[in-house]
Amino acid sequence: MSLVLRKYVPQTIVSIIIVLTVVFYYFYVSKEIAGTFTTADKALSDWVVIIMSFALIVGGIDILRFHLARIRREGMGQAPFSTVTIALLVLMVVFALHGWYLSYADPAAGIAITTQPQFRWLYLNVYAPADAAVYSILVFYIASASYRAFRVRNPMALLLLITALIVVFGNTTIGGLIWPGFLPLRDWIMTVPNTAAFRPITIGAGLGVIILGLRLLTWREISWMGRRE
Amino acid sequence: MSEMSALSSLEKILGSKELLYTLLLLSVILPILHPLGIPVEISRRTIDVYEYIETNLRPGCRVYIEVYYEVAARGELEPNLIALTKHLFDRGCRIVYGSLSAFGVIAFSLFKSMAADVLEGKEYGRDYVYLGYIAGGEAATASLARSIKGTISVDNYGNRLEDLPLMKEVDKATDFDLVVIVSSGTDIFAYYVRQWHTPYGVPLLFACLSVIAPSIEPFVGAKQAVGMLVGQRSAAEYEVLVGRLGLGIASMDAQSTSHMLIVAFIVIGNAIYWRRRISSKRGGSR
Repeated sequence: MSLVLRKYVPQTIVSIIIVLTVVFYYFYVSKEIAGTFTTADKALSDWVVIIMSFALIVGGIDILRFHLARIRREGMGQAPFSTVTIALLVLMVVFALHGWYLSYADPAAGIAITTQPQFRWLYLNVYAPADAAVYSILVFYIASASYRAFRVRNPMALLLLITALIVVFGNTTIGGLIWPGFLPLRDWIMTVPNTAAFRPITIGAGLGVIILGLRLLTWREISWMGRRE
Repeated sequence: MSEMSALSSLEKILGSKELLYTLLLLSVILPILHPLGIPVEISRRTIDVYEYIETNLRPGCRVYIEVYYEVAARGELEPNLIALTKHLFDRGCRIVYGSLSAFGVIAFSLFKSMAADVLEGKEYGRDYVYLGYIAGGEAATASLARSIKGTISVDNYGNRLEDLPLMKEVDKATDFDLVVIVSSGTDIFAYYVRQWHTPYGVPLLFACLSVIAPSIEPFVGAKQAVGMLVGQRSAAEYEVLVGRLGLGIASMDAQSTSHMLIVAFIVIGNAIYWRRRISSKRGGSR
Protein backbone atom coordinates (compact mmCIF):
# COMPACT_ATOMS: atom_id res chain seq x y z
CA MET A 1 0.00 0.00 0.00
CA SER A 2 2.82 2.33 0.92
CA LEU A 3 4.60 1.69 -2.39
CA VAL A 4 1.35 2.33 -4.27
CA LEU A 5 0.82 5.62 -2.48
CA ARG A 6 4.42 6.77 -2.62
CA LYS A 7 5.30 5.66 -6.14
CA TYR A 8 2.49 4.52 -8.41
CA VAL A 9 -0.15 7.13 -7.55
CA PRO A 10 2.14 10.20 -8.11
CA GLN A 11 3.58 8.70 -11.30
CA THR A 12 0.09 7.95 -12.64
CA ILE A 13 -1.02 11.54 -11.91
CA VAL A 14 2.06 12.92 -13.69
CA SER A 15 1.49 10.63 -16.71
CA ILE A 16 -2.17 11.64 -17.00
CA ILE A 17 -1.28 15.35 -16.81
CA ILE A 18 1.43 14.98 -19.47
CA VAL A 19 -1.01 13.24 -21.83
CA LEU A 20 -3.73 15.82 -21.16
CA THR A 21 -1.34 18.74 -21.69
CA VAL A 22 -0.19 17.35 -25.05
CA VAL A 23 -3.78 16.62 -26.14
CA PHE A 24 -5.04 20.07 -25.10
CA TYR A 25 -2.18 21.89 -26.85
CA TYR A 26 -1.90 19.97 -30.12
CA PHE A 27 -5.09 18.03 -30.89
CA TYR A 28 -7.97 19.52 -32.84
CA VAL A 29 -11.09 17.43 -33.47
CA SER A 30 -13.90 19.95 -33.84
CA LYS A 31 -14.82 23.46 -32.68
CA GLU A 32 -16.97 22.15 -29.79
CA ILE A 33 -14.28 19.77 -28.55
CA ALA A 34 -11.63 22.51 -28.94
CA GLY A 35 -13.80 24.72 -26.70
CA THR A 36 -13.99 21.99 -24.07
CA PHE A 37 -10.24 21.46 -24.34
CA THR A 38 -9.62 25.20 -23.83
CA THR A 39 -11.76 25.22 -20.67
CA ALA A 40 -10.03 22.12 -19.30
CA ASP A 41 -6.59 23.42 -20.28
CA LYS A 42 -7.35 26.71 -18.53
CA ALA A 43 -8.35 24.80 -15.39
CA LEU A 44 -5.10 22.82 -15.56
CA SER A 45 -3.01 26.01 -15.91
CA ASP A 46 -4.92 27.62 -13.02
CA TRP A 47 -4.11 24.65 -10.81
CA VAL A 48 -0.41 25.22 -11.49
CA VAL A 49 -0.75 28.93 -10.60
CA ILE A 50 -2.52 28.03 -7.33
CA ILE A 51 -0.09 25.21 -6.50
CA MET A 52 2.93 27.47 -7.17
CA SER A 53 1.47 30.21 -4.97
CA PHE A 54 1.13 27.74 -2.12
CA ALA A 55 4.58 26.32 -2.91
CA LEU A 56 5.98 29.76 -2.01
CA ILE A 57 4.52 29.34 1.50
CA VAL A 58 5.94 25.81 1.72
CA GLY A 59 9.29 27.20 0.57
CA GLY A 60 9.23 29.85 3.30
CA ILE A 61 8.47 27.27 5.97
CA ASP A 62 11.22 25.03 4.61
CA ILE A 63 13.79 27.85 4.79
CA LEU A 64 12.74 28.47 8.40
CA ARG A 65 13.07 24.78 9.31
CA PHE A 66 16.40 24.46 7.49
CA HIS A 67 18.01 27.40 9.28
CA LEU A 68 16.64 26.50 12.70
CA ALA A 69 18.05 22.99 12.28
CA ARG A 70 21.36 24.44 11.09
CA ILE A 71 21.71 26.70 14.12
CA ARG A 72 20.95 23.73 16.37
CA ARG A 73 23.43 21.50 14.53
CA GLU A 74 26.33 23.88 13.77
CA GLY A 75 26.05 26.16 16.78
CA MET A 76 26.89 29.83 17.06
CA GLY A 77 29.32 29.84 14.10
CA GLN A 78 26.39 29.61 11.72
CA ALA A 79 24.01 31.59 13.92
CA PRO A 80 24.63 35.14 12.57
CA PHE A 81 23.83 34.19 8.95
CA SER A 82 20.85 32.00 9.78
CA THR A 83 19.49 34.55 12.27
CA VAL A 84 19.56 37.30 9.65
CA THR A 85 17.78 35.02 7.15
CA ILE A 86 15.11 34.03 9.67
CA ALA A 87 14.64 37.61 10.88
CA LEU A 88 14.16 38.90 7.32
CA LEU A 89 11.80 36.05 6.55
CA VAL A 90 9.66 36.84 9.59
CA LEU A 91 9.82 40.55 8.73
CA MET A 92 8.46 39.84 5.25
CA VAL A 93 5.54 37.90 6.74
CA VAL A 94 4.82 40.76 9.18
CA PHE A 95 4.93 43.33 6.34
CA ALA A 96 2.67 41.15 4.20
CA LEU A 97 0.13 40.79 7.01
CA HIS A 98 0.29 44.55 7.66
CA GLY A 99 -0.30 45.25 3.94
CA TRP A 100 -3.14 42.74 3.89
CA TYR A 101 -4.72 44.42 6.92
CA LEU A 102 -4.39 47.89 5.33
CA SER A 103 -5.97 46.68 2.09
CA TYR A 104 -9.12 45.87 4.10
CA ALA A 105 -8.95 48.60 6.76
CA ASP A 106 -8.34 51.45 4.30
CA PRO A 107 -9.06 50.31 0.73
CA ALA A 108 -9.00 53.92 -0.55
CA ALA A 109 -5.26 54.14 0.26
CA GLY A 110 -4.60 51.53 -2.45
CA ILE A 111 -2.12 49.65 -0.25
CA ALA A 112 -1.81 45.93 -0.94
CA ILE A 113 0.69 43.30 0.17
CA THR A 114 3.10 44.20 -2.64
CA THR A 115 2.79 47.96 -2.22
CA GLN A 116 3.20 47.95 1.56
CA PRO A 117 5.35 51.04 2.34
CA GLN A 118 7.83 49.39 4.74
CA PHE A 119 8.37 46.51 2.35
CA ARG A 120 9.01 49.01 -0.43
CA TRP A 121 11.45 50.96 1.77
CA LEU A 122 13.36 47.80 2.69
CA TYR A 123 13.49 46.69 -0.91
CA LEU A 124 14.60 50.04 -2.31
CA ASN A 125 17.12 50.84 0.42
CA VAL A 126 18.59 47.46 1.26
CA TYR A 127 17.97 44.93 -1.47
CA ALA A 128 18.13 47.18 -4.55
CA PRO A 129 21.57 48.77 -3.81
CA ALA A 130 23.03 45.39 -2.88
CA ASP A 131 21.62 43.76 -6.02
CA ALA A 132 22.80 46.58 -8.28
CA ALA A 133 26.26 46.60 -6.65
CA VAL A 134 26.76 42.86 -7.08
CA TYR A 135 25.74 43.07 -10.74
CA SER A 136 27.93 46.12 -11.35
CA ILE A 137 30.98 44.40 -9.87
CA LEU A 138 30.76 41.96 -12.78
CA VAL A 139 32.15 44.60 -15.13
CA PHE A 140 35.47 44.57 -13.25
CA TYR A 141 35.73 40.80 -13.45
CA ILE A 142 34.79 40.80 -17.13
CA ALA A 143 37.38 43.50 -17.88
CA SER A 144 40.06 41.62 -15.99
CA ALA A 145 39.12 38.31 -17.59
CA SER A 146 39.03 39.84 -21.10
CA TYR A 147 42.55 41.21 -20.67
CA ARG A 148 43.84 37.78 -19.65
CA ALA A 149 41.70 35.49 -21.83
CA PHE A 150 41.70 37.24 -25.21
CA ARG A 151 45.22 36.16 -26.19
CA VAL A 152 45.65 35.35 -29.88
CA ARG A 153 47.35 32.00 -29.46
CA ASN A 154 45.93 30.39 -32.63
CA PRO A 155 43.80 31.29 -35.71
CA MET A 156 40.54 30.36 -33.92
CA ALA A 157 41.37 32.72 -31.05
CA LEU A 158 42.06 35.45 -33.62
CA LEU A 159 38.63 34.85 -35.19
CA LEU A 160 36.99 35.03 -31.77
CA LEU A 161 38.81 38.26 -30.96
CA ILE A 162 37.87 39.91 -34.28
CA THR A 163 34.21 38.94 -33.79
CA ALA A 164 34.23 40.22 -30.22
CA LEU A 165 35.82 43.52 -31.28
CA ILE A 166 33.23 44.05 -34.04
CA VAL A 167 30.38 43.46 -31.54
CA VAL A 168 32.02 45.75 -28.96
CA PHE A 169 32.58 48.53 -31.50
CA GLY A 170 29.05 48.04 -32.80
CA ASN A 171 27.68 48.47 -29.29
CA THR A 172 29.47 51.77 -28.72
CA THR A 173 29.00 55.20 -30.22
CA ILE A 174 32.78 55.58 -30.64
CA GLY A 175 32.69 52.55 -32.96
CA GLY A 176 30.45 54.48 -35.35
CA LEU A 177 32.95 57.35 -35.44
CA ILE A 178 35.84 54.99 -36.26
CA TRP A 179 33.98 53.14 -39.03
CA PRO A 180 30.22 53.29 -39.74
CA GLY A 181 30.28 49.68 -40.93
CA PHE A 182 30.63 48.29 -37.39
CA LEU A 183 26.91 48.62 -36.63
CA PRO A 184 25.55 46.70 -39.66
CA LEU A 185 28.36 44.16 -39.27
CA ARG A 186 27.41 43.63 -35.61
CA ASP A 187 23.79 43.10 -36.66
CA TRP A 188 24.90 40.61 -39.31
CA ILE A 189 26.97 38.66 -36.75
CA MET A 190 23.98 38.55 -34.42
CA THR A 191 21.43 37.52 -37.03
CA VAL A 192 23.46 35.07 -39.15
CA PRO A 193 26.39 33.24 -37.45
CA ASN A 194 24.97 33.71 -33.94
CA THR A 195 21.53 32.43 -34.92
CA ALA A 196 23.11 29.51 -36.75
CA ALA A 197 24.95 28.60 -33.54
CA PHE A 198 22.06 29.14 -31.15
CA ARG A 199 19.29 27.50 -33.18
CA PRO A 200 20.69 23.96 -32.78
CA ILE A 201 21.10 24.64 -29.06
CA THR A 202 17.43 25.71 -28.84
CA ILE A 203 16.30 22.71 -30.89
CA GLY A 204 18.52 20.42 -28.80
CA ALA A 205 17.01 21.78 -25.59
CA GLY A 206 13.53 21.22 -27.05
CA LEU A 207 14.40 17.63 -27.91
CA GLY A 208 15.76 17.21 -24.39
CA VAL A 209 12.45 18.38 -22.95
CA ILE A 210 10.57 15.90 -25.18
CA ILE A 211 12.83 13.08 -24.02
CA LEU A 212 12.35 14.12 -20.39
CA GLY A 213 8.58 14.11 -20.94
CA LEU A 214 8.73 10.63 -22.46
CA ARG A 215 10.85 9.38 -19.57
CA LEU A 216 8.33 10.80 -17.10
CA LEU A 217 5.50 9.25 -19.07
CA THR A 218 7.12 5.83 -19.11
CA TRP A 219 8.04 6.08 -15.39
CA ARG A 220 11.78 5.97 -16.12
CA GLU A 221 12.41 9.43 -14.63
CA ILE A 222 11.92 9.28 -10.87
CA SER A 223 14.36 11.94 -9.65
CA TRP A 224 11.47 14.42 -9.17
CA MET A 225 10.23 12.16 -6.35
CA GLY A 226 13.56 12.62 -4.59
CA ARG A 227 14.98 9.27 -5.66
CA ARG A 228 17.84 8.18 -7.83
CA GLU A 229 17.48 5.56 -10.54
CA MET B 1 67.30 40.26 -21.91
CA SER B 2 66.58 43.82 -20.82
CA GLU B 3 63.75 43.97 -23.37
CA MET B 4 62.22 40.86 -21.80
CA SER B 5 62.44 42.30 -18.31
CA ALA B 6 60.92 45.58 -19.54
CA LEU B 7 58.05 43.64 -21.11
CA SER B 8 57.61 41.66 -17.89
CA SER B 9 57.44 44.86 -15.86
CA LEU B 10 54.93 46.39 -18.29
CA GLU B 11 52.82 43.23 -18.20
CA LYS B 12 52.96 43.24 -14.42
CA ILE B 13 51.79 46.88 -14.27
CA LEU B 14 49.02 46.37 -16.82
CA GLY B 15 48.06 43.05 -15.26
CA SER B 16 47.48 44.63 -11.86
CA LYS B 17 43.81 44.62 -11.05
CA GLU B 18 44.08 47.89 -9.16
CA LEU B 19 45.13 49.86 -12.26
CA LEU B 20 42.47 48.30 -14.48
CA TYR B 21 39.72 48.73 -11.88
CA THR B 22 40.64 52.36 -11.22
CA LEU B 23 40.75 53.24 -14.92
CA LEU B 24 37.47 51.40 -15.48
CA LEU B 25 35.81 53.26 -12.64
CA LEU B 26 37.02 56.59 -14.06
CA SER B 27 35.93 55.64 -17.57
CA VAL B 28 32.39 55.07 -16.28
CA ILE B 29 32.11 58.01 -13.87
CA LEU B 30 33.78 60.81 -15.87
CA PRO B 31 31.58 60.58 -19.01
CA ILE B 32 28.48 60.60 -16.81
CA LEU B 33 29.68 63.76 -15.03
CA HIS B 34 30.97 65.37 -18.23
CA PRO B 35 29.11 63.88 -21.23
CA LEU B 36 31.11 63.65 -24.44
CA GLY B 37 28.01 63.98 -26.61
CA ILE B 38 29.04 61.41 -29.20
CA PRO B 39 26.21 61.13 -31.76
CA VAL B 40 24.21 57.90 -31.69
CA GLU B 41 23.79 56.17 -35.02
CA ILE B 42 20.49 54.29 -35.20
CA SER B 43 20.65 50.66 -36.25
CA ARG B 44 18.35 49.06 -38.80
CA ARG B 45 16.94 46.70 -36.16
CA THR B 46 15.79 49.56 -33.93
CA ILE B 47 14.30 51.41 -36.89
CA ASP B 48 12.42 48.22 -37.84
CA VAL B 49 10.83 48.07 -34.35
CA TYR B 50 9.91 51.75 -34.51
CA GLU B 51 8.42 51.39 -37.98
CA TYR B 52 6.45 48.29 -36.98
CA ILE B 53 4.72 50.23 -34.21
CA GLU B 54 4.19 53.25 -36.49
CA THR B 55 2.71 51.13 -39.26
CA ASN B 56 0.68 48.51 -37.40
CA LEU B 57 -0.64 50.13 -34.25
CA ARG B 58 -3.59 52.48 -34.66
CA PRO B 59 -5.13 54.74 -31.99
CA GLY B 60 -7.13 52.64 -29.54
CA CYS B 61 -4.93 49.56 -29.95
CA ARG B 62 -4.23 47.37 -26.92
CA VAL B 63 -0.74 46.30 -25.87
CA TYR B 64 0.36 43.90 -23.13
CA ILE B 65 3.78 44.56 -21.55
CA GLU B 66 5.55 41.99 -19.42
CA VAL B 67 7.78 43.70 -16.82
CA TYR B 68 10.23 41.00 -15.85
CA TYR B 69 13.48 42.42 -14.54
CA GLU B 70 15.16 43.02 -11.22
CA VAL B 71 16.88 46.19 -10.06
CA ALA B 72 20.30 45.00 -11.24
CA ALA B 73 19.07 45.03 -14.85
CA ARG B 74 17.17 48.28 -14.47
CA GLY B 75 19.88 50.43 -16.04
CA GLU B 76 19.63 48.58 -19.33
CA LEU B 77 15.93 47.73 -19.46
CA GLU B 78 14.07 50.61 -17.85
CA PRO B 79 15.12 53.13 -20.56
CA ASN B 80 13.79 50.67 -23.16
CA LEU B 81 10.50 50.32 -21.26
CA ILE B 82 10.08 54.09 -20.88
CA ALA B 83 10.86 54.82 -24.54
CA LEU B 84 8.52 52.05 -25.74
CA THR B 85 5.74 53.21 -23.41
CA LYS B 86 6.09 56.76 -24.69
CA HIS B 87 5.92 55.58 -28.28
CA LEU B 88 2.87 53.40 -27.59
CA PHE B 89 1.04 56.18 -25.78
CA ASP B 90 1.95 58.58 -28.60
CA ARG B 91 0.32 56.13 -31.00
CA GLY B 92 -2.84 56.19 -28.86
CA CYS B 93 -2.41 52.68 -27.46
CA ARG B 94 -3.67 51.50 -24.10
CA ILE B 95 -1.39 49.28 -22.09
CA VAL B 96 -1.83 46.38 -19.68
CA TYR B 97 1.34 45.68 -17.69
CA GLY B 98 1.94 42.43 -15.85
CA SER B 99 4.82 40.65 -14.11
CA LEU B 100 5.58 36.95 -13.91
CA SER B 101 8.44 37.88 -11.59
CA ALA B 102 8.02 39.07 -7.99
CA PHE B 103 10.70 41.71 -8.70
CA GLY B 104 8.47 43.15 -11.40
CA VAL B 105 6.28 44.89 -8.83
CA ILE B 106 9.09 47.12 -7.58
CA ALA B 107 10.51 47.48 -11.09
CA PHE B 108 7.13 48.81 -12.21
CA SER B 109 6.86 51.24 -9.29
CA LEU B 110 10.34 52.58 -10.11
CA PHE B 111 9.38 52.82 -13.77
CA LYS B 112 6.30 54.83 -12.80
CA SER B 113 8.35 57.30 -10.80
CA MET B 114 10.96 57.65 -13.57
CA ALA B 115 8.39 57.94 -16.36
CA ALA B 116 6.10 60.41 -14.60
CA ASP B 117 6.15 62.70 -17.65
CA VAL B 118 5.19 59.82 -19.97
CA LEU B 119 2.27 58.75 -17.74
CA GLU B 120 1.15 62.34 -17.19
CA GLY B 121 -2.41 62.79 -18.39
CA LYS B 122 -2.96 59.06 -18.57
CA GLU B 123 -5.67 57.71 -16.36
CA TYR B 124 -5.07 54.49 -14.42
CA GLY B 125 -7.67 51.90 -15.33
CA ARG B 126 -8.61 53.56 -18.61
CA ASP B 127 -5.26 54.12 -20.35
CA TYR B 128 -3.13 51.63 -18.46
CA VAL B 129 -3.41 48.90 -15.85
CA TYR B 130 -0.81 47.02 -13.83
CA LEU B 131 -1.81 43.47 -12.94
CA GLY B 132 1.06 42.96 -10.47
CA TYR B 133 2.89 39.72 -9.78
CA ILE B 134 1.34 36.57 -11.15
CA ALA B 135 2.89 33.35 -9.83
CA GLY B 136 3.11 30.23 -11.97
CA GLY B 137 5.77 30.76 -14.65
CA GLU B 138 4.87 29.22 -17.99
CA ALA B 139 1.57 27.81 -16.70
CA ALA B 140 0.53 31.33 -15.67
CA THR B 141 1.56 32.61 -19.13
CA ALA B 142 -0.70 29.98 -20.70
CA SER B 143 -3.50 30.79 -18.30
CA LEU B 144 -3.27 34.56 -18.98
CA ALA B 145 -3.40 33.91 -22.72
CA ARG B 146 -6.79 32.22 -22.29
CA SER B 147 -8.27 34.59 -19.76
CA ILE B 148 -6.63 37.26 -17.61
CA LYS B 149 -9.74 37.72 -15.48
CA GLY B 150 -10.02 33.96 -15.13
CA THR B 151 -6.48 33.85 -13.74
CA ILE B 152 -6.48 36.82 -11.37
CA SER B 153 -9.35 38.87 -10.01
CA VAL B 154 -7.58 42.01 -8.74
CA ASP B 155 -4.75 44.24 -9.99
CA ASN B 156 -1.58 45.13 -8.10
CA TYR B 157 -3.41 47.77 -6.04
CA GLY B 158 -6.34 45.56 -5.04
CA ASN B 159 -8.81 46.96 -7.61
CA ARG B 160 -11.22 44.43 -9.07
CA LEU B 161 -10.35 43.89 -12.73
CA GLU B 162 -14.04 43.93 -13.66
CA ASP B 163 -14.27 47.52 -12.40
CA LEU B 164 -11.41 48.82 -14.59
CA PRO B 165 -12.62 50.20 -17.96
CA LEU B 166 -9.60 48.90 -19.91
CA MET B 167 -10.03 45.39 -18.49
CA LYS B 168 -13.63 45.34 -19.71
CA GLU B 169 -12.22 45.43 -23.25
CA VAL B 170 -9.38 42.93 -22.91
CA ASP B 171 -9.18 39.49 -21.42
CA LYS B 172 -7.33 37.05 -23.66
CA ALA B 173 -4.24 36.96 -25.90
CA THR B 174 -6.14 37.70 -29.09
CA ASP B 175 -7.50 40.94 -27.61
CA PHE B 176 -4.01 42.45 -27.83
CA ASP B 177 -2.40 43.95 -30.93
CA LEU B 178 1.12 43.55 -29.58
CA VAL B 179 2.87 41.94 -26.64
CA VAL B 180 6.13 43.48 -25.43
CA ILE B 181 8.38 41.43 -23.16
CA VAL B 182 10.93 43.47 -21.23
CA SER B 183 12.99 40.86 -19.46
CA SER B 184 16.35 40.19 -17.86
CA GLY B 185 15.69 36.44 -17.97
CA THR B 186 15.88 34.09 -20.95
CA ASP B 187 13.05 31.61 -20.36
CA ILE B 188 10.29 34.18 -20.30
CA PHE B 189 10.69 34.92 -24.03
CA ALA B 190 10.19 31.23 -24.83
CA TYR B 191 7.10 31.15 -22.56
CA TYR B 192 5.42 33.86 -24.63
CA VAL B 193 6.51 32.30 -27.93
CA ARG B 194 5.01 28.95 -26.88
CA GLN B 195 1.89 30.18 -25.10
CA TRP B 196 0.93 33.45 -26.84
CA HIS B 197 2.48 33.54 -30.31
CA THR B 198 2.29 29.90 -31.48
CA PRO B 199 -1.35 29.14 -30.51
CA TYR B 200 -2.85 32.63 -31.01
CA GLY B 201 -0.49 34.36 -33.44
CA VAL B 202 -0.07 37.43 -31.23
CA PRO B 203 2.89 39.57 -32.41
CA LEU B 204 5.72 39.69 -29.87
CA LEU B 205 8.38 42.34 -29.37
CA PHE B 206 11.43 41.68 -27.20
CA ALA B 207 13.50 44.06 -25.07
CA CYS B 208 16.39 42.26 -23.42
CA LEU B 209 19.82 42.58 -21.88
CA SER B 210 22.79 42.61 -24.27
CA VAL B 211 24.11 39.43 -22.69
CA ILE B 212 20.85 37.56 -23.34
CA ALA B 213 20.28 38.75 -26.93
CA PRO B 214 22.30 35.99 -28.64
CA SER B 215 20.20 33.24 -27.07
CA ILE B 216 16.83 34.71 -28.12
CA GLU B 217 17.95 35.88 -31.54
CA PRO B 218 16.66 32.65 -33.20
CA PHE B 219 13.06 33.63 -32.27
CA VAL B 220 13.44 36.93 -34.11
CA GLY B 221 15.10 35.23 -37.07
CA ALA B 222 12.20 32.77 -37.26
CA LYS B 223 9.71 35.70 -37.26
CA GLN B 224 8.26 34.54 -33.95
CA ALA B 225 8.96 38.08 -32.76
CA VAL B 226 8.57 41.25 -34.80
CA GLY B 227 11.82 42.66 -33.47
CA MET B 228 14.15 43.10 -30.57
CA LEU B 229 15.63 45.99 -28.61
CA VAL B 230 18.96 45.02 -27.11
CA GLY B 231 20.34 46.67 -24.00
CA GLN B 232 21.57 50.20 -23.48
CA ARG B 233 22.44 50.90 -27.11
CA SER B 234 18.91 50.15 -28.39
CA ALA B 235 17.45 52.17 -25.51
CA ALA B 236 19.56 55.17 -26.52
CA GLU B 237 18.56 54.76 -30.17
CA TYR B 238 14.88 54.45 -29.29
CA GLU B 239 15.05 57.51 -27.03
CA VAL B 240 16.37 59.48 -30.01
CA LEU B 241 13.58 58.12 -32.25
CA VAL B 242 10.75 58.95 -29.82
CA GLY B 243 12.29 62.29 -28.82
CA ARG B 244 12.60 61.70 -25.10
CA LEU B 245 16.22 61.60 -24.06
CA GLY B 246 16.78 59.76 -20.80
CA LEU B 247 19.05 57.31 -19.01
CA GLY B 248 19.75 55.31 -22.17
CA ILE B 249 21.44 58.12 -24.03
CA ALA B 250 23.00 59.51 -20.83
CA SER B 251 24.94 56.32 -20.19
CA MET B 252 26.02 55.63 -23.79
CA ASP B 253 29.19 57.70 -23.40
CA ALA B 254 30.13 55.73 -20.28
CA GLN B 255 29.48 52.47 -22.13
CA SER B 256 31.64 53.65 -25.04
CA THR B 257 34.61 54.77 -22.92
CA SER B 258 34.57 51.66 -20.69
CA HIS B 259 34.36 49.36 -23.72
CA MET B 260 37.22 51.22 -25.40
CA LEU B 261 39.33 50.87 -22.28
CA ILE B 262 38.77 47.11 -22.26
CA VAL B 263 39.63 46.95 -25.99
CA ALA B 264 42.82 48.94 -25.33
CA PHE B 265 43.83 46.54 -22.58
CA ILE B 266 43.15 43.53 -24.84
CA VAL B 267 45.26 45.05 -27.64
CA ILE B 268 48.15 45.95 -25.30
CA GLY B 269 47.97 42.52 -23.68
CA ASN B 270 48.25 40.86 -27.09
CA ALA B 271 51.05 43.16 -28.22
CA ILE B 272 53.10 42.23 -25.13
CA TYR B 273 52.25 38.56 -25.56
CA TRP B 274 53.41 38.50 -29.20
CA ARG B 275 56.51 40.60 -28.53
CA ARG B 276 57.53 38.11 -25.85
CA ARG B 277 56.74 35.17 -28.08
CA ILE B 278 58.79 36.56 -31.00
CA SER B 279 61.67 37.49 -28.66
CA SER B 280 61.75 34.04 -27.07
CA LYS B 281 61.70 32.40 -30.53
CA ARG B 282 64.61 34.55 -31.67
CA GLY B 283 66.47 33.75 -28.48
CA GLY B 284 65.85 30.03 -29.00
CA SER B 285 67.06 30.04 -32.63
CA ARG B 286 70.38 31.68 -31.77
